[in-house]
Parts: sequence; structure tokens; C-alpha cells
Amino acid sequence: MTAVAERRPRTFSTSARLRGWLRNPWGKPRLLVIITWAYILWSIVPVLIAVQFSFNATRSRTIWDSFSTRWYWGDPVDSVWHDPTLRHALVQTFKLAGADVLIAVPIGVLLALGLARWRGRGSGTSNFIMLFPLVTPEIVMGVALLLIFTEVFTFVHTGTLAQILGHITFSISFVVVIVRGRLFSIGRQYEEAAADLGATPFVALTRVLLPLLTPAIVASAAVVFAISADDFVISQWLSKGGETDTVPIRIYSATRAAPLPSVNAIATIMMVSTLIIVTLGFLAWRLFTSGEQKTGTAAEDFGTAFRL
Amino acid sequence: MARGEIELTKLTKEFAEVRAVDAIDLQVPGGEFFSLLGPSGCGKTTTLRMIAGFEQPTSGQILLDGSDVAYTPPHQRNVNTVFQNYALFPHLNVYDNIAFGLKRAKRPKPEIRERVGKALELVQLTGYERRKSSQLSGGQQQRVALARALILNPAVLLLDEPLGALDAKLRKTLQIELKALQQEVGITFLYVTHDQEEALTMSDRLAVMNGGKVEQVGNPHDVYEDPETLFVADFLGVSNLMAARIVSTSTSACKVAVDGYELETRGTDLDVTGEAKIVIRPERVGLEEHGSESGPNRIPGMVERVVYVGSAIQVIVRAATGDSLQALVQNTGAGIPYEQGTPLQLHLPADALRVLPSGIGDAPSLKGEEPDPEPAAAAEP
Repeated sequence: MTAVAERRPRTFSTSARLRGWLRNPWGKPRLLVIITWAYILWSIVPVLIAVQFSFNATRSRTIWDSFSTRWYWGDPVDSVWHDPTLRHALVQTFKLAGADVLIAVPIGVLLALGLARWRGRGSGTSNFIMLFPLVTPEIVMGVALLLIFTEVFTFVHTGTLAQILGHITFSISFVVVIVRGRLFSIGRQYEEAAADLGATPFVALTRVLLPLLTPAIVASAAVVFAISADDFVISQWLSKGGETDTVPIRIYSATRAAPLPSVNAIATIMMVSTLIIVTLGFLAWRLFTSGEQKTGTAAEDFGTAFRL
Repeated sequence: MARGEIELTKLTKEFAEVRAVDAIDLQVPGGEFFSLLGPSGCGKTTTLRMIAGFEQPTSGQILLDGSDVAYTPPHQRNVNTVFQNYALFPHLNVYDNIAFGLKRAKRPKPEIRERVGKALELVQLTGYERRKSSQLSGGQQQRVALARALILNPAVLLLDEPLGALDAKLRKTLQIELKALQQEVGITFLYVTHDQEEALTMSDRLAVMNGGKVEQVGNPHDVYEDPETLFVADFLGVSNLMAARIVSTSTSACKVAVDGYELETRGTDLDVTGEAKIVIRPERVGLEEHGSESGPNRIPGMVERVVYVGSAIQVIVRAATGDSLQALVQNTGAGIPYEQGTPLQLHLPADALRVLPSGIGDAPSLKGEEPDPEPAAAAEP
């Protein structure tokens, strides 16, 4: 330590801090850390409060009484388990999300393969058009789909089938973007090596490329499940009411009437199941990429798959 | 006829605007260790990829044992490749990586097991069957890649800078191993590299490429000692170039004038007149004490810089002609023999001097200040 530094009074006035920061902007960014944590708290606290009140023993969603599981299954009339509208909504949501994953993921993977390996006229344009569903306002997409199913393809009636088709329509883009990212990052070398060793293009696809794409496929399945379960606008437009209402629609209409903590309970169930699905997706990603060179931590790489 | 003969005729590959490979002709007899040497972007890798089948030529022929395979898909060609980054399948272990080709060929299981065992023995990796490629060191991955390609008993093995990712010491060891392996299995190796030392030590013959064209083909000795173009002279190690005017040429000896000094050089069968370049390797430049008896091919000079490189000492001398020449003196442990500003006499032996037509290979005014020629420096990783 130099004598000069020792003689300087250790004040913490704002101006001294500012000067210190100007002298060394690469020092520890304490302010940034505080802002970051404040933001995280700000965004998570309402969710935690909502979860808390799903366990409330009384009918109030604002005044805490005591812990109970009444709104999950205890209440014989209004609990998620016993209220047929809520139970139906839950079943409908999982039905849509499941069908969406089973159909959109295979189509999206094949589309990604085609788009990523298609070199030539039109490939750039088609890659760009692929991003349209991601930036189109959902309400526009919903109206368009409703018009199509009521005016053009009238054999598709509103209801479950229309909802599934609607979900698939906007889910495919997510699958394509995630899988294509992975395709670009693994490059063409493994396909070339397979071809070099005598594998036909089909064998190279099934024995080499698909195993290498597994993490991206799993990740995109998790994402598709999450966005489908979360969707409100398209499900609502294509619903025929009653038994085809999904959880988000149910929550929305219940909140406008006389909401009970059972709404919080069903929301909590949705949140937890989505979290589980995404966590499983992450674990699968880590398992399948364990042998590869890392560009960051597993969590960072997994996050990269979602950078849209 | 030996198996694994390659013949390229007028092979050309154009990408959008660029002509990566420009009508090259090459003949590689079966069983030869042949290298394609050149700086990055010279077309050597594109040539290899066309032979492997990953790129389709724009025009020209690729004859493999007499039949044109230019448009045969890669999985139907009897050539195998060792990739620059090995491209070992990360989801398969060592055994399954090596067995991949045999499984595609639908060989019976016992045969696969036996041949994989032999291949592992060949590359000294017995016992590593169950490892994943990520659990192997760079050198081991390289061996697995080699075993995976060799197990199919190809007519030609293509190697795309297979040692590029390894450290210098391991590279030296593997160079020797690879050469020994090639002699053992006796198949044609086509080896792509930008490392002139690697190409010189391993190859039976090599082709020096630049700008999509082959500059010179020959065995290492001829290419190093008798470069035909300025580019080849320059790319294969450091060489000193001087502008000269031709006085007389013949196949036995030539006479040139360099800024008033008349020098005798080796004979040439190239047709050179007027302005030309003369080239000499640093290890052939003789340094004599100032004032020692003058003879033919001697030019006075002054030490400009002395660089200690370990096994040798690099002395950069400004000759009286204005050229800056580099001389390499063996390090005998006696310390640095010269210091800056020492006057001395350069001896450029006639049999070490070679006349080259100037202009070919666009050698720029390389030997101004920097002793390292640009293309070689750019090619070094």
C-alpha cells in the first residue's frame, strides 16, 4: 500500500463513491447485484403469495387464516378435485399440451432438418418466415384461426380438435428454432463422418443425427408443453365453451366472478407441473450432452436452446 | 496395379464467386504417402473433400483405381477420412465408434469383434473399448479416428490436418507413428497439412498448393532443395531472396549480377532472362570474418540483428547489396558469436544459390525488414 492511499480519509459520501467507480468501473458492481436481487424478489413475491393463499383455510384470497389443503381436495364442492369445471379444465389443458407435444415436436424436428440442410434459392426466406408465428400477436393468430375453422375448413368445429390444431400451429416454430440451433452447433461433421463410414443418408439420420439432437428435442418438448399449458388467447378463441375451457380460461372467468382459493390451487398445480416438466427437460439435456465440450455451464447451454 | 491409385484431371471447384480449386492435375500411385501442403485457403482441404465425396466438383475427374468417382456419394466410395477434429460420435463409446463402419457393411458380429480388437491393437488402445470419446485425450481421440477409418480397409485414407489440434511434442511422436503405420498397412495416405515440416518429414511425395493451383509436385528433397517457384521457395521454410540480373544461364551453372556483385549459381532448366530472383536457405549462408581472403560468391555485410532460437542462432546480415539476409548458425554452446554492427563477409556457395524467375507466385518484397515471409507466418497456427 502506498502512503498516499493510507492518508486518504475513508469516507463513503456519494461523490467519493462515484469517483471511485469512475476510477475503476471494473470493480465489484454492488449496485447491480442489489438491483438484480430486487428484481427477482419483485417478480417472484406475487407468485409466492398466490401459492400461499391456495393453502388458506378460509374462503378469503386476501386474509390469511391457517394452512389447509381444503381447496385442493378437502372441500366437497369447491375444491379442484370436486368441482367438475375445474377438474375438466385441468384435464383439457393436459390433453391439449400432450397432443401438442406429440404432434408439433416430430413435425418441427423434420422441418428444422429440412430448413437447416437446405442450401439454395428460397432457404433464407423460408427460414425467416419460420419466425413469423413467434412475432405475430397471438390475438391476430387466434382470430385468423377462428376464421379458418368457421369459414374455410368448416369440418373442423371449434372445440378440442380446433384447439389442438391452433396450438400446433404456433408451437412448431419454437421446435424449429430450438432444434435448428442445435443442428448448427453440432455442424455437418458427424453426418459426413457417418457417410464416410458407409452410412446411407437415412442411417446417418437415425443412428447419428437423431441421437445427437435428443437434448434439443427434449428441450423443445418441454417448451411446447409449457407454452401450450400456459396459452390463453388461442385456447379461448377456439373453445366451444364449457368442457373445452382450459385452466387459464377457467382462472380468468372465475376471477371475474367470485374467486375462491381453489383458483389459486389450480394455478399452483399448473405452475408446479410446468416446472417439473421443464426441470425434467433440463436434466435430460444435461444427461444427453454430458459427453460434449461445454461452452458454458449446463444451465447456460440449456438456456441457449431457448434463445429465440 | 497397386490398389489406391488416385488421378485427378482438371479438377475444379467453384464456390459462388471463388474458384477454390483451379483445374488441378495430380497422380498418386497406390501405397504412397502423399501430402497436399499449402497455406489456409489454398484449396487443399477442398480437394480432399472432393475426393471423400463431401463436395461435388464443378468440373474435372477423380479417378480412383481407374474409375471416375467424382459424382459417387461418399458412402459408396472406398475411401475413408480422418477429420481435423476427429468427428468421433459423442454418443457412442470407442468400440461402437470403431465398429460403426463394419455394422453399416452388415458384417457378422464375431467378425466385427475380432476386427475392432485388431484395430485397437494397431493404434495401441486395447482396453479402451468402453470409454466415451470425451474421456480420451486429444492423442487418443486421434488414434480412435484413425482406427475407425482404417478398419474398413479403404483403398485410400484421407487425413485432413489430423495432428493440427495436438501440442507440438505429441505431434512429433504421432508423425513418426503415422508414417510407420502407413508403411505397415501399405495403403495410400493423402495427407493435408499447412505445416511444411510435417509434410517434409512424412511424405513420400508432396504437392505444394497456392491459390487453388498446384505449384510444384515432388519428393521432399526436391521440393525443398529445388523449388521451382518463389512461392514454394518461400513457403517451405525461410529463404533469402535477392533481386538479380541474369548474365548467363545454362543447365550446369548460371551467372547473375546483384547490385554490382557477380555471383555464380546452380544451373537451371527454367527459361529465365533479364530480371530474376536468387534464393538461398539460411542454413547455407556462410559467415566469414571481415577481411578474410575474398573469393567467388562473397559479399561484405554487417550484422544487423542476432536472435537466439535455442538449437541455432539466427544472424540477420545487411549485405553490401542492400539485401537483408538471414543466416542460421549452429549453437555450439560457445555463446553468441556476433554482435550488432560487426562487419563480416557473406559466403553464398554457388551450389546453394538458385535462380528463379521473378513474378511467379507473387512473392512480394519479402526480404525487406522482416525475416519471416508472410505466407508461412499466416499458415502457422
